[in-house]
Parts: sequence; C-alpha cells; structure tokens
Amino acid sequence: MTITIHRQTSESGRTGFSRRRFLLSTAMIGVTTGGMLRIAGASGAAALDAGQSATLLRMVQDIYPHPDLLELSHYEAIVEIVAAKAAGDAANAAALTDGLARIEAQARALHGTGYTGIADPDAREGLLRHFQHEGFFQGVRWTAYFAIYDNKALWPRFGYGGSSVEHGGYIDRGFSDITFVPAGPTLEQRLAEVGG
Amino acid sequence: MTRFDLSDDGVVVIVGSGAGGGTLANELAQKGIRSVVLEAGKRFDLGDIENDEWAMFSKTSWLDKRYSTGGWHGAVNHPNLPAWIVKGYGGSTIHWAGVALRLREHEFRTRSHYGAIPGANNEDWPVTLAEMIPWYEKAERKMGVTGRTTGMPHLPWNNGFRVLAEGCRRTGRTDYNSGPMAINSVERDDRPACQQIGFCMQGCAIGAKWSTMYTELPRAEATGNCEVRTEAMALRIEHDRAGRVTGVVYADAEGVQHRQKARAVAVAGNSIESPRLLLNSASAMFPDGLANSSGQVGRNYLTHTTAGCYAVLPEKVHMYRGTSVAGVVGDEVNHDAGRGFAGGYYLEFLSLGLPFMAAFLEPGNTGWGRSVAGAMEQYDRMSGVWICGEDMAQEKNGITLHPEEKDQHGLPVPLVAKTPHNNDHAMTAHAFEATAEIYEAVGATDVYELPAYPASHNMGTNRMHADPAKGVVNAFGQAHDVANLFVSDGSQFTSSGACNPTLTIVALAIRQAEHIAREMAAGSI
Repeated sequence: MTITIHRQTSESGRTGFSRRRFLLSTAMIGVTTGGMLRIAGASGAAALDAGQSATLLRMVQDIYPHPDLLELSHYEAIVEIVAAKAAGDAANAAALTDGLARIEAQARALHGTGYTGIADPDAREGLLRHFQHEGFFQGVRWTAYFAIYDNKALWPRFGYGGSSVEHGGYIDRGFSDITFVPAGPTLEQRLAEVGG
Repeated sequence: MTRFDLSDDGVVVIVGSGAGGGTLANELAQKGIRSVVLEAGKRFDLGDIENDEWAMFSKTSWLDKRYSTGGWHGAVNHPNLPAWIVKGYGGSTIHWAGVALRLREHEFRTRSHYGAIPGANNEDWPVTLAEMIPWYEKAERKMGVTGRTTGMPHLPWNNGFRVLAEGCRRTGRTDYNSGPMAINSVERDDRPACQQIGFCMQGCAIGAKWSTMYTELPRAEATGNCEVRTEAMALRIEHDRAGRVTGVVYADAEGVQHRQKARAVAVAGNSIESPRLLLNSASAMFPDGLANSSGQVGRNYLTHTTAGCYAVLPEKVHMYRGTSVAGVVGDEVNHDAGRGFAGGYYLEFLSLGLPFMAAFLEPGNTGWGRSVAGAMEQYDRMSGVWICGEDMAQEKNGITLHPEEKDQHGLPVPLVAKTPHNNDHAMTAHAFEATAEIYEAVGATDVYELPAYPASHNMGTNRMHADPAKGVVNAFGQAHDVANLFVSDGSQFTSSGACNPTLTIVALAIRQAEHIAREMAAGSI
C-alpha cells in the first residue's frame, strides 16, 4: 500500500488538516471472484498446533486491526474458521502451515524473536507485507474480511445499519437526520422546480 | 404464457432482456410485432431481491469466465471481473442505480467539438441531441424519471447527498440536485414511491426504481406477442446466402442447443456479449464476424472514466441510509479545453455498504492493514461520490476471443481490454481535486481515492457511424452490412458521454422499434 499525505498549506486557504490518498500499487496478484465468495461455516477442527494458532491469531489482528472496536473473541473465531478450512483440505493445510512457518522464520531473522514477540505493529505489518501476494495469506485475509465486514452481528460497531426493507426503509429512520449541514429542499420546493 | 415455435420465422429474436432488449421487446409487442427474447440468465422477480451486497452479487452477476486485460488496474485486481453486470431476467436494469441523464449536445459530436485527439477514435454520432429529445421524453415518461417531463419531483435529499450539496454550495457550484432519477418519488405507473431503503444496486426490493424486470418484460409478455426464454444463451446468429440473418442458435439450461428462426435479430447482450456474439457468428461470407466489414466490432470499448472518492466528515453521516445514488453534480460536465482534457464528468453521490467499502477502498492483495482498518472505522462519517466522465474511444480497447480457452458452452472466452487514455487520467485527476475541494469546504479531514470499479457502464463495441467504413450500425442501430440485424444496447454508442447510459439506451430502443415497424410495413425486412 502507498499512502500519500497531502498537507494543506495556508496558502491554499484551507488549513489545519491532512488528507490521505490511497494510491494504487501495481505489483499485485489478483484475487479471483471465486476467492471473494462467501466461506462456509467453521466446524472448529484443529489443524494447527498452539504455536501456529498463536501466530495466526496475531496475524488476523494485524490484517484488520480494530483493537477498540472488536474483541479478541472475534479474532479467535476467524482463527477457528481458517483452521477448520485447513482441517478439511490437506493442500490448504500444508500451504497454511508452511506460510506460518516462514513468517516465524522471517520474524526471527529480522527481529530475533517470534512473530508474536514483535512489539511494533508497523513492524509486524511490514513483515506480513512480504507474504501478501501468496495464496495462503490471501486465504486468511479474505476469511478475515468476510468475518468482520460482511458479518451482520458486527455492523453496528462500525455504524452500519444494513438491510432496511423489512423495516420499511430508512424513510422514517434517519435517512436525512444530520444537523451539521442545511436541510434539503422541501417537497413544495422540489415540486416547484419541476413545474409541478 | 405465449410460446412461439422454433420454426416460426416471423418473430424478431432479441438477445438480452435489459434496458435495450427489454424495452425493444415491449415496444414491438405493443405494436403487435412478435418477438422471442433469449435471456442467458434466470428468471428473477421482486422476491429474489435482498438488501445484501454480496448475496445479490453472487445471485445476479454475470460470472461466466472473462479475462480483464490492458493497462487498467483491474487487469491485476479484477482479473476475471472486467464488468459488473447482471445475468438474469431484467439484465442490468436490476443493478443500475436509476440515474437518468441525457447526453449533452457536444457529447453526440465529439469529433466536431474536440477535434482529432492523438490515440483516440472519437467520432460524431449519426444522430444529434435535437433529434433525440422527443425520444428522451418518451423514455422519461416510460421509466418515470423525476423532473419536468413527468412533473414528478426529485427525491428528498439524504444525509450523504446533503453533505455533498453543501460543499458544492460553499464552493460556488450551482448544478447539483437529487435527480433526474428513474425512481418514483410518488406512486406512479403501478409502482410505489421510494422508501429510502438503500441497496438500489442490489435491485429495488419494492420496484420504485424502473427495471425491465417488472415493467417492460411482463408487459410485453402480457400482450401475447412476446415470449421470454430464460437460461437461453445465444451461441451464434445464422444467415442465408443473401447475407440476411435467419435465426439464432442457443443453448438451454441443460446445454441442449436449439435454433430459433427469425425475421430479424436484435442484439442486446451488453457491450461484451453483443460483439462476442457477432464475432462468434463468423462465416465464409462474414469471415471477420457478422456485420464486421468495418473491422469495428468489438473495438472502442468504453466504460466511462471513473473512480470513487470518499471523504471523512467531522460528524456522523450514515450515508447508507436512503437512495444509493442520491444526487448528481453537473458543474463539470461541459467541455472546456482549458482544463487540459476533452469532455466532462459528473460527480454522483454513491453510498457503499460496509462490505463493499472494505472491498473497494483498496482493491487487490494490498487492501488490508492499519490504514484500511483505520479508514473503515470512519465509515459512519463518510460521504462520497462516483466520478463518471467521458471515456475516450480507442480502437485498442475492446473485446476479442481467447485463441484457445472455451467456456461452458464451448465458446471462446472473451478478453476484455481496457487501457485508459491520457485524457482519462487528466480528467480523473481533475475530478479528485474537485471532489476534495467540495468536501473540504464542509470540513472533511480525510479524502480517500478509490480506483475504478469493475465496469457497470459498458459501451461502444458495435458503434454507430454514418460511414459504414467507420462503424457497425447506422443511426437506428441497424447493421450496415445486414439489413435485418440490429444492435439495441449500449454497444451502439459512438462515444460514452459523461452520463449513465441507460436513459439513452432506452430512448434509442424506443426509436429503433419505430424504425423496425416502419421497415417491416414497407416490406424491407
């Protein structure tokens, strides 16, 4: 990922804040739409030993870190799903355990400690970036994605309301309730502008 | 339900049931002209619509094998999803957001207004805005477009659009409104008023947004003059020794092939499948593909110059509440060479749900980590736009056939090439600056720039041109090479314009139906 910080200068007349921009990294390997489809529920089978599970737990927290929004149990549930998928698929399990072993090896080579022992979150993310184009990593990443951002139970924590048709829409539930900008035109004004 | 015999050579066979095909079928049916619509996807109804981004993506998207190629980021990040369109009864009118803008005068005549642009293949349409206005008005009445034609007020402004609109006001902009939209703001045409449900692009669950799924198609079928066959994938168009098309071979749900005879054929399978079908219909008489003496079939693929841009505001916005595309900014749609690019663009407020925001904020393998997670924690304070601008036609952008790989029907898999023109890059940069300026005027603290999504606006691959050497079809969408073959979807566009294509597709389909009826009456088809 490349983020460019644009510091506004006083010369521009807009001061006091920055805006971040996501710029496209072109050195990516694609994720197929198949890889983005929903993952079946976990059975909790254990394909990983305690050390591997600990590395994986730290890894999913570093992939989508929400320390103030989510609880450890949410990340543990992701580890369960990943482990269950590996338990039912030998090739998947081999790629995952091999990948976790290489993360550990890289951590020891660069930091002299195991992955979970690296204190600096930026350092851990930087280490993971070495592996981000690999299948095992993207498998973990998309599992975490669906378990967090496509998880209706967690949506309220992000301020997302989701499905509304069963409640009659948002027409009486705050579709136009903010107060820091002016209200939109009234029905009379909207009728007048179309000659109605 | 009406059934026509496979050997009935009096029917018009229409390939596709979306904005072009669905409208054409109903217009013909109301005139007493019989048609068989071949729809590749399943039959859907309102009961299939869910307020769930991924569920609807999986249920309705066209996910047959395709390759995304060329220089755009999607060749890497969306390698098998160049386009985000629908396979099903109603086509992409299920997915469209309802924005119903007309092309501007200069957009119909891009060669005359912009001149020759290096690397581009910009040409004038063989129709003008003045000629199209009555057809636009018919389309607006048919679809129920808010605005002066129908007298239906534009929709009430939701939170996300109010933020954008206030930024526009504070930066001196004047052309911003919550319409024109083909979404009922009051009950009309046996459809209810919008309930600000959101999820417009997952299909409108109550039918307030126009879609052929619950308007044109069932109305055409109700006349007894139209049969819609779903899960019927057109494989090739056949012709006789005189070079007239005679029917369409298609595969049903079990893969069994049938041959539907036809008096005329109208291709409306969207801008990837339509040229693909013509290319797959190559014969000894038409070795480069049907109706392709110009060599333009599959070329000049247009998607609009697009990107997303989301700002974080100081207070809660809850942009997901209400109409997905709740308003449009038109201040930059004019052509002003002084800006450093030809053509213009709209800024269209667009809410994404939490799942899609997390997927498209930074698509591809790198879209994770502290920056992405941090941005997602700002989700409820975001408002943003989809940038929709004129896309410069280039011959090298287009649809070709894979030399070896075949799909489930045995047809060559399509390669969809898209490389932005420098004009597109300059326009996108301008649009990001404008959007940031607007949102900063209302206190935005962060502005995120998102690269183009898989294209929902696909145009240009069977372009209209007055000169048969430069285009595939004439001003009525009729093939220059084959008098009883028509193109009825956005692939007939000569240029993209800046606006969403659906209203123009519908207007052209209404006009084409009149032309087909006239030609049939004259005995020339």
